[in-house]
Amino acid sequence: MTDSSVSSRKVLSKIATNRLQKELTEWQINPPSGFTHKVTDNLQRWVIEVNGAQGTIYDNEKYQLQVDFPENYPMEAPQVIFLHPAPLHPHIYSNGHICLDILYDSWSPAMTVGSICISILSMLSSSTAKERPEDNDRYVKNCRNGRSPKETRWWFHDDKV
Amino acid sequence: MDSEDDMHDANDAESVDDDFYSGETAMDSDDGDAADYEFIDNDSDDSNDLVSHRSQQNYTILNETDIQLRQEDDIMKIASILSISDVAAAILLRHYNWSVSKVNDEWFADEEKVRRVVGLLEEPRPLPNAKELTCGICFEVYPCDSMSSAACGHPFCVTCWQGYISTAINDGPGCLTLRCPDPSCGAAVGKDMIVSLASHDDREKYRRYFLRSFVEDNRKTKWCPAPGCDYAVDFIVGGGTFDVTCRCSYSFCWNCTEEAHRPVDCDTVSKWIMKNSAESENMNWILANSKPCPKCKRPIEKNQGCMHITCTPPCKFEFCWLCLGAWADHGERTGGFYACNRYEAAKQEGVYDDTEKRREMAKNSLERYTHYYERWATNQSSRQKALADLQQMQSIHLEKLSDKQCQPESQLKFITEAWLQIVECRRVLKWTYAYGYYLPEHEHAKRQFFEYLQGEAESGLERLHQCAEKELQGYLNVEGPSKDFNEFRMKLAGLTSVTRNYFENLVRALENGLSDVDAHGGTSRIGGSRSLGAGSSKGRTSRSKGTSARSSGSRNIDDSVHWSCEYCTFANAKSATICQMCQQRR
Ligand SMILES: [Zn+2]
Ligand SMILES: [Zn+2]
Ligand SMILES: [Zn+2]
Ligand SMILES: [Zn+2]
Ligand SMILES: [Zn+2]
Ligand SMILES: [Zn+2]
Ligand SMILES: [Zn+2]
Repeated sequence: MTDSSVSSRKVLSKIATNRLQKELTEWQINPPSGFTHKVTDNLQRWVIEVNGAQGTIYDNEKYQLQVDFPENYPMEAPQVIFLHPAPLHPHIYSNGHICLDILYDSWSPAMTVGSICISILSMLSSSTAKERPEDNDRYVKNCRNGRSPKETRWWFHDDKV
Repeated sequence: MDSEDDMHDANDAESVDDDFYSGETAMDSDDGDAADYEFIDNDSDDSNDLVSHRSQQNYTILNETDIQLRQEDDIMKIASILSISDVAAAILLRHYNWSVSKVNDEWFADEEKVRRVVGLLEEPRPLPNAKELTCGICFEVYPCDSMSSAACGHPFCVTCWQGYISTAINDGPGCLTLRCPDPSCGAAVGKDMIVSLASHDDREKYRRYFLRSFVEDNRKTKWCPAPGCDYAVDFIVGGGTFDVTCRCSYSFCWNCTEEAHRPVDCDTVSKWIMKNSAESENMNWILANSKPCPKCKRPIEKNQGCMHITCTPPCKFEFCWLCLGAWADHGERTGGFYACNRYEAAKQEGVYDDTEKRREMAKNSLERYTHYYERWATNQSSRQKALADLQQMQSIHLEKLSDKQCQPESQLKFITEAWLQIVECRRVLKWTYAYGYYLPEHEHAKRQFFEYLQGEAESGLERLHQCAEKELQGYLNVEGPSKDFNEFRMKLAGLTSVTRNYFENLVRALENGLSDVDAHGGTSRIGGSRSLGAGSSKGRTSRSKGTSARSSGSRNIDDSVHWSCEYCTFANAKSATICQMCQQRR
C-alpha cells in the first residue's frame, strides 16, 4: 500500500494533470447537483461543498468534502474525507473518514470526482438515522497519528444503508 | 515389570503374526521392505531402501514445470469439455479454485449464472462503430484503431490499459480476476490481454501469481513450507498419515504445515508451539549451547549429537547433557541404559535443585514444562546436527572411509542408513516430549507405559547415535583397513534396526493413544502382548522388523531363559546360538 498522505504530496503526473483538468472543465460546465467546488490554483486538492438533499434527514445541512489526488491518479483512488464537522451517519466516522467501497477496493480509474460525489450523496440520502458507526471511538483512536483512510483495511458496512 | 512373559511369547512364536501387519498405515508397510536386513546375512547386498523411503505415497512432489503442466492440462480439459477458449477456461478454473469438477457442475447447472458471476460474455461486443473514440479513463479522443477493450467493447486507450493492468498486477494476486475498468461492467479481462499489454516485469509477476494461484487456491496442493523451497505437494486426502517429505528433504505435516510430528497429533503440536512462544523468554537460557561441567564448573559446549558428554582434560568427567548427572549413573537409576527421559525420577533425585537458575524457577509447573521443553529442544538441535553430519558423511567421509577401509562405497550404505535412522528418531523423540507434557498426570499407568517405551527408544537411539558418531571416527582416522571393520558394520547395522524397531513400537503405541496399557492392565507389557511375532532368522519372509521391540536386553531379562546380545542388546531365546536380530554369535 502506498502511503497516500505522502503520495498526495508528490506532484501529479502528466496523465493525472490532464485528466484532472478535463474533470474540472466538465465540472464547471455540468456540476453534479448538490455540490459546489470553489476552483483554486490547487489542482491536487479539491474542497467541495455538499448540500444535504431535500426530503432527507440532512436537508438544509452543509458539509465539506476534501479530495486529495495521488500522483498516479486515476489509476489510484483519491483520498476523500469530510472536513470537520462530518455528518452524523452510520458509515462516516467522526474524524471524517468514509466507509465506502469505491473509495478503496472498488475504485476504478473510469470513475471521477463527479461519480464519487453522486455515490456519497446517495449514501447520505438513504440514511434513516443520524448516528456514528458502532466502532467509531476505537477507529478514530487508531487513526490519531494521522493515518489515511486508504491505509485502513475496510470491512464494508452493509451497503443497503 | 514382567516382561518375561512377553519375551517368552515373542520367542516362542515362530510365525509372523498377520494381524500385526494388517491395517497398518502406508508408512509401516513400506518399511517392511526396508527392514529385511538381508545385508547382514549377505554382505554383498546393500540394496535396502533408505529409511525414509515410502513406496506407497499418497502425495506427489511437483516442481514448477509439473505445476504448469497440470495447470495447462486442467485448462485444456475445461476448454474442450465446455467448448470455450483457454482464456475463458482459465478464468473459470481460477474462480472455482482450480477444481475441474466444480467448474463442470456449476457450468452445466446454470451456465448463464456462471458467466455472469465470472464476467464471461457469450458474444463479444466490438468497439463502438466510430472513427474516433473517447477513452473512458483519460478522456482523450483517439482514432478507433488505437483503442482496445475487453469482450464488452468499452474502449480505453492503450496507455490507460497499460496503467490499469500494471496497477492491478502490482497490487497483488487480485490481478487474476481483473474486470473491465467501466464501473457498470463486470467483463473479465483475460490472460491474453494482460500478457500482451503488460511490461516484461509485470508479465513475469502475473505469470507467478497465475502459477501460485494453482497451488494456493487449490485445496489439493500446498507449497513446501521449507524456506527457499519451490516445490509444491499434491496430496490425496484419505487414509495414511499427513506426513510428507519434500524433494528438498524437509518433512512436514500436510494438514497443519508444521514440520512432521508423527506420532503426535496436529492439535498437540499447535498447543505446544503456542506454549513455547509464550514461555520463550524463560526458556532462552536453555537454548544456550553451553552449560557448566557439573564437576569442574568450566563451561562445556555440546558439539556432538548424542547426550554423552566428556569434559575436556584434565577433568574428563563424563556426564549427561540433559540432567548433568554422571554418565556412569545412567542405567537403572534413570530408568534404562542411557535413558534420561523421566521427569519424576529426575525430580526425586533432586537434580533440579542443582543450579541456581533452576532454583529461581519456583513454580512446579514451569519446572515441569522446562523438563519437557529442554528435551524437546535438545532433540531438535541433535537432529539438526545429525542432518549436517549425514550430509558431511555423504559428501566427504564415505569416500575417505571407502579408501581407508578398502570397501566399495556401495558397501557403506549401512552408515547412511544409520544416520537417516538417527535423524528420523530424533524427530520422533522430540515430539514424544510434547506428547509427554500433555499426557495427564493422573493417568499413572499410561504415563509409566509411555515413559517406559520412550526410555527404551531413547536409550536405543543414544547407543546408535554414539556408535555412528564416535566409534565411526576410529575407522576414519586410521592408516590402513581395520580388522574389526566388519564387526563395526554388524554392530551399527544391528543398532540401526533395533532402534528402528523401538521407535516403531513407540510411534504405534502413541498413535493408539497408549490403549494397550488398558487392554493389558498394566505397564509391564511392552508394546502389548499382541504377538510382535518373533523373527525367524531366515530373512525376507520373517519381517523381522516386528520382532525386537521388546525390553532392552540390558535388564529385566531372566537369564535362565534369555541371553542378551552384546552388540544389539536383543534378548534372544536361550536355545539360539546366533542373535536373531543381528546374527552375531553368542
Ligand atoms: Zn486513455
Ligand atoms: Zn466493459
Ligand atoms: Zn521442500
Ligand atoms: Zn500436523
Ligand atoms: Zn569438568
Ligand atoms: Zn541424564
Ligand atoms: Zn544382536
